Amino acid sequence: MIEYIKGYLSTGTTPGEAGNLFWATIYILLVIVGVSVAVLCMNWLERKILAHMQIRLGPMRVGPHGLLQPFADALKLLIKEDIIPQDADKLVFWSAPVVVTMTAFTTFLVVPFGRTHAVTDMNIGVLFMLGVSSLGVLGIIMAGWSSNSHYPLMGSLRSSAQMVSYEIAMGLAIVSAVLMTSLQTGTGTLSMIGIVEAQASQHTWFIFKFFPLGFLAFAVFAIAMVAETNRAPFDLPEAESELVAGFHTEYSGFRWSLFFLAEYSAMLAVSSIAVTLWLGGWMRPFPSLLGGPAWDMAFSFLPALTFFVLAAGCFLGTIRMPKIPQFRVQTIGLGTFGALLGLVGLVLLVPAVSVRVQDIYWFVVKVAFFMYLYIWYRGTFPRYRFDQLMKVGWKVLLPTGLGVLIATALWGLMPQLSAAITGVLQ
Amino acid sequence: MKLTSLVRKILLVDLVKGLKVTFHYQPPSEAITEQYPLERPVIFERFRGQPRLNSNPDTGESLCIVCNLCALACPEQLIVVKGERNPATKRKEVVSWTYDLSRCMFCGLCEEACSTDALELTQDYEMALYSREGMVLDQAALERGQEPERYAK
Repeated sequence: MIEYIKGYLSTGTTPGEAGNLFWATIYILLVIVGVSVAVLCMNWLERKILAHMQIRLGPMRVGPHGLLQPFADALKLLIKEDIIPQDADKLVFWSAPVVVTMTAFTTFLVVPFGRTHAVTDMNIGVLFMLGVSSLGVLGIIMAGWSSNSHYPLMGSLRSSAQMVSYEIAMGLAIVSAVLMTSLQTGTGTLSMIGIVEAQASQHTWFIFKFFPLGFLAFAVFAIAMVAETNRAPFDLPEAESELVAGFHTEYSGFRWSLFFLAEYSAMLAVSSIAVTLWLGGWMRPFPSLLGGPAWDMAFSFLPALTFFVLAAGCFLGTIRMPKIPQFRVQTIGLGTFGALLGLVGLVLLVPAVSVRVQDIYWFVVKVAFFMYLYIWYRGTFPRYRFDQLMKVGWKVLLPTGLGVLIATALWGLMPQLSAAITGVLQ
Repeated sequence: MKLTSLVRKILLVDLVKGLKVTFHYQPPSEAITEQYPLERPVIFERFRGQPRLNSNPDTGESLCIVCNLCALACPEQLIVVKGERNPATKRKEVVSWTYDLSRCMFCGLCEEACSTDALELTQDYEMALYSREGMVLDQAALERGQEPERYAK
């Protein structure tokens, strides 16, 4: 038994590939916990960053700088009355949030947080992610339909129309990235890990490949993924000023929080697709430009450094806390939190740990950047009208995606093409 | 001109400009939110809030001469002043003074009518109560003024 558990550690593959059920279960649990924690953090960060962008302060009361606000929210949602409208289709109403949450979490099966840090490596990884995440639309339509109410139905109709039309542009952008994986080996791959390894072997992230083609494909994807996850400025399905809350208007309490969880984990999932396909997945920045053991060494300190900076921030907060009895609990709590963060940083300084965890760190940093972009967009852009949304999707992104795909294919075939042309000329 | 606008559209110049604006607003020091119980707002001098009966700072005697002008001026007739002439000093002195805050609309007519500057609408604004009791202020309450519970700081 112990041999079975320890045996995996030396394989250097994902638990799925090694066929190790124990570690696969552990990884799945870790991913579920990790994503939930990330959603909690996002909840706080979104409210805080959005507030600061709008020259407000955001949550300040629950814990120091509102740090405990997500927990207060979660508690409120859990103890809230669970209402099912009288005329709702009970079974469908009940299953809609389940479908949405399940699809959102299932996509994380193939997300590679590192070479060995994925639940499994499917040879159709990208296809699997796209397929499963589009199943989420089904849950949204179910929610809108079963609520038996006008606003949810309108919201879910909008959502399905939007998701279907942006799926195409997204798919085209992804295909052009997949085309790039076949450049040196001759055989392309849809496996998420394979795509990152292709970028490693070609010594460039695909966003810089065939400049500006890789960047254009990335831009198409980056716009389409905002629409795909129903976020501002494409948040028509949940347009507050028009549709109350869109497809989840009739939901409350825990069911509503499942929709919330699903929305944010879907955002994380599409961001990780973008990171894997164009930003080199778990690779550290500039692996070939700033290569060599010295740079490796320097970059390996960054994870620990991040935690130290966070810990220092916490300690600064403790020092600046008003020195009165009412704030004593908060001060102690923040100090403990800072100490914990510092401890994590210290653990990350151990070479054995940092080697194994570094790739996760870089992946998370890149995904966090996308999450920040999501918030930034929401704080800046007004909502599109529905016809504008459709126009952008069908008349701009789709042709651009197609053009980029064809151009990428031609550029990739350049050696063969030029050889053929010279052959014909001779 | 047409071409430049097209290029601007393609390069998403306007969107980037908007992003720049929101990005620069981010330092928390930019926030204009007032943390009310911790920080208290500066109230303008002409603000009309909690009424107060002034007394002579030297002698401690009430400035009110029970002329009843404020009660007459009040459109809501919420001021009731009763006084008695003191035979020794031959001056009218207050027997009872009530001010029904629950009906007051802070028009300030009473303050203007007062010939001795005894009645004054101050800048204190924390007048919310949990019930109507305590809304009718007597002379002692009016002279004491407001003592809001200070938030710890």
